[in-house]
Amino acid sequence: MTVSSYSGGHYSGTSGLMHEEPLLFEHVHEEATSISLPGLTGPLSDELHAFVRTESANIPGLSEPETVRHFVRLSQWNHGIETGFYPLGSCTMKYNPRVNEQLVRLPGLAHIHPDQPEESVQGLLALLFELQNWLGEITGLPYVTLQPAAGAHGEWAGLMMIRAALESRGEAHRNKVLIPDSAHGTNPASAALCGMQTVELKSLANGRIDLEELKAHLDGDVAALMLTNPNTTGMFESDIAKICELVHQAGGFVYGDGANLNALVGIARPGDMGIDCLHINVHKTFSTPHGGGGPGGGPVVVNESLAPYLPTPRIIRQGDLYRIIQSDESSIGPVLGSIGQVGVLLRAAAYIAAFGKDHLHRIAEDAVLNANYILARLKEAYHVPFEGICKHECLLTDGIQNKHGIKTLDIAKRLIDLGFHPMTVYFPLVVHGAMLIEPTESESRETIDAFCDAMLEIAIACEEGDTEALYVAPLLPIRSRLDETAAARNPVLVWPSESKDE
Amino acid sequence: MLDTIGVSDMRELFADIPASFHHEPGSLNLPDALSEAAIVRKFTQASDSNRHAGNSSYFLGGGTYHHFIPAVVDYIISRGEFLTAYTPYQPEIAQGTLQVLFEFQTMVARLLGMDISNASMYDAATSVAEAALMARRAKRRERVVMAGSVNPRYRAVTHNYLSHLGGETIVVENNGFSTDVEKVCAAVDEATACIIIQYPDFYGSVYDLAEIRRKCDATGALMVVAFSDATAFALIKSPGECGADIVVGSGQALGIPMGFGGPHLGLFTCTQKLLRQMPGRVCGMTADVNGRRGFVLTLSTREQHIRREKATSNICSNQGLMCTAAATHMSLMGDAGLKTVAEHSAAALQMLVSNLPAHVKAADGARYNETVLSFKDRNHRDDFLARAGAEQIFAGIPLEKLDGKAEPRHLLVATTEMTEAEDVSRYLELLETAQ
Repeated sequence: MTVSSYSGGHYSGTSGLMHEEPLLFEHVHEEATSISLPGLTGPLSDELHAFVRTESANIPGLSEPETVRHFVRLSQWNHGIETGFYPLGSCTMKYNPRVNEQLVRLPGLAHIHPDQPEESVQGLLALLFELQNWLGEITGLPYVTLQPAAGAHGEWAGLMMIRAALESRGEAHRNKVLIPDSAHGTNPASAALCGMQTVELKSLANGRIDLEELKAHLDGDVAALMLTNPNTTGMFESDIAKICELVHQAGGFVYGDGANLNALVGIARPGDMGIDCLHINVHKTFSTPHGGGGPGGGPVVVNESLAPYLPTPRIIRQGDLYRIIQSDESSIGPVLGSIGQVGVLLRAAAYIAAFGKDHLHRIAEDAVLNANYILARLKEAYHVPFEGICKHECLLTDGIQNKHGIKTLDIAKRLIDLGFHPMTVYFPLVVHGAMLIEPTESESRETIDAFCDAMLEIAIACEEGDTEALYVAPLLPIRSRLDETAAARNPVLVWPSESKDE
Repeated sequence: MLDTIGVSDMRELFADIPASFHHEPGSLNLPDALSEAAIVRKFTQASDSNRHAGNSSYFLGGGTYHHFIPAVVDYIISRGEFLTAYTPYQPEIAQGTLQVLFEFQTMVARLLGMDISNASMYDAATSVAEAALMARRAKRRERVVMAGSVNPRYRAVTHNYLSHLGGETIVVENNGFSTDVEKVCAAVDEATACIIIQYPDFYGSVYDLAEIRRKCDATGALMVVAFSDATAFALIKSPGECGADIVVGSGQALGIPMGFGGPHLGLFTCTQKLLRQMPGRVCGMTADVNGRRGFVLTLSTREQHIRREKATSNICSNQGLMCTAAATHMSLMGDAGLKTVAEHSAAALQMLVSNLPAHVKAADGARYNETVLSFKDRNHRDDFLARAGAEQIFAGIPLEKLDGKAEPRHLLVATTEMTEAEDVSRYLELLETAQ
């Protein structure tokens, strides 16, 4: 079925044939594995015999061709960046360079053990050490840990460093973290994980941090302010220097959530603005693939006030050799069981190497250009809660469409039938019916115009009362709206294991 | 585009950033851009300069294992629809990811003998830490007991996670290279939220968990079992079968490269009873408006984007793609393949320890694929390591590198189905000459 065209493009809900595909457990299983395995056969020790399991685990085995077909069919049900536009605000769904996939599979980078001698992995350590320096330079915060496995993990590690710094100053009583109400949920969750008390700061009507509100909450118990800049409404906090000054004067640290770093890369640096500690989401800003939910990487960069507390293990350079220090006195110790998400970090390093010093700024320039262009094209048809230039993402709401009984959710689902992954919906929480659109710099004008055309088509349909298509959307994917309430009420998280013959 | 926006210059789009913070393009201290070819050359040179599994043989374990990865696994996780998709928050166009997660959760739960699994954590160490936090919430108790025979890295990270949350965290000191079950049981009381043990333990020991289960029943403490090499449970009794309440560990052995430590895969499973306290994303079955079966992320009210500071964890991104790798691996292997992997892994270790020269001792007791070899003194051990290294054999991890209290004359040694008979023979020959 081909649905209406726009800008000359055509799309349909099928690709080749879009197959239904049962669960692995519903296939007929092979008795033997189709994989020829290496290794040696031989007796088990007598002692081990006592522990041998008597019943098999009931893991279904399919032949190789059947396994391939199963997972390939499943993959065809997914939208990915490689399939189409993915304007999720706050996620930075930029193109993931394929050369990086090749690089991390090089045997000397992939098939190495974390505990093999340092001398045998100098090539790898050199690449990671270089990445540390680059991240320090890009952010203006020169002391780096590559260890945290994701942004939220970096937040927790950063707050732990702040706690350690305060303890060594004899200020362990400082346990309050100030967090704007527009913050991502990981911020207060990470603070709670450190045993800190979160204090919510109400934002101004224009979405920004209220300096008076901040001043009112800055007391001798404040450990830190956590802020995102640009903030989660896509706006730059122009008072950032003043904000940092106030927090420092009160004896606290400023923690930067680096989720929106894409707006600043190569143009401005959080460290210069007064931020003490920042996590970087390499899976956002530095193009590492999202993989259906991960793996990410959350390196943390700090200034010298927090440098002594960086986690270990950590890579250093001693003359011509790269070494790993396993521990040091003031470090907060390990936050992960290894030195970090190495394969993810290598992709980030390759990405930065491709831009180099002369081109890095184009990331932020094009990201901000694209977001402002979308804002300009859509601001008449959609309600814009906050005036002015945005940064790398723009925020709209369903305020106008509400009058026709349409909500953000309906707009999102209709966008699917028009060939697009929806924008981020209902975040930030402080804006009712939020739609946060982040095109990133890797989209062409053609794609962005097609998206805007689709959004305008939806707005017009609402105006004209032609809303049926929105309520029933999406019709084209392999599944229509799914019952999330039922899923939570009666959770079925595994396929029941009845018998071997399923 | 600038016209449409209504500005004349790109600079105007950055006017909200105070001028003093602007850096001129090209002014950062970074290298010149490299062409794609130059980047490939740079990384290839780095790779070539490293010793790796293509040119060396590995007897290294300690939480990461050199297992065979069938070509199909890498192919499937290279597909753009899996690789470049986001977290499946718009489930209608993410049924691929979601069905894979459901299959992953099911297979992991079955392998570990547990009721439910989540959709992954970062790694084994952070999974153990989160298990401790979960047990404290579930039991409303603060005391955590850890066996000293749990991987030191898992313990260090767990200490870190617990460090500002009140309550005491005890480590039951271990003597020797297996778990002292009696001593561990003695440390568990009615104030204990959980006892964390590892099975097989950090030294590779496989042992009976029945006493520990009984002590937990008597005191109400939860039994948390950690593990490092998931393939063990294709051969030996699963922790679930031994009565564990929470089982956490690494899925790296299931089709994921060693990668110098990451990205790996944290597995997190528990009993049905504990579901609401479990951290992390979880995928559930449901139906769409047309009654067709489908899958969605569910029970989000446990998570940070809903509960914020009251969430079960702060975790957002998980290991996503590595779940797809593990699911593909397990379905290629099936019960039969996983069992073969385990049998070969164990047989290689058995061949090694049953042919040791008199002057090298293997730790006592049942082992799966990992053990401790003890030498006369440090010189003997290090001399052997150096000679093995000269032949591209990574013969083991000096135990004191991971376990600071160990005398510097032991090696932590692991084998897998990638360990061939010739590798074991050569290893033994080198040991012979280490007099």
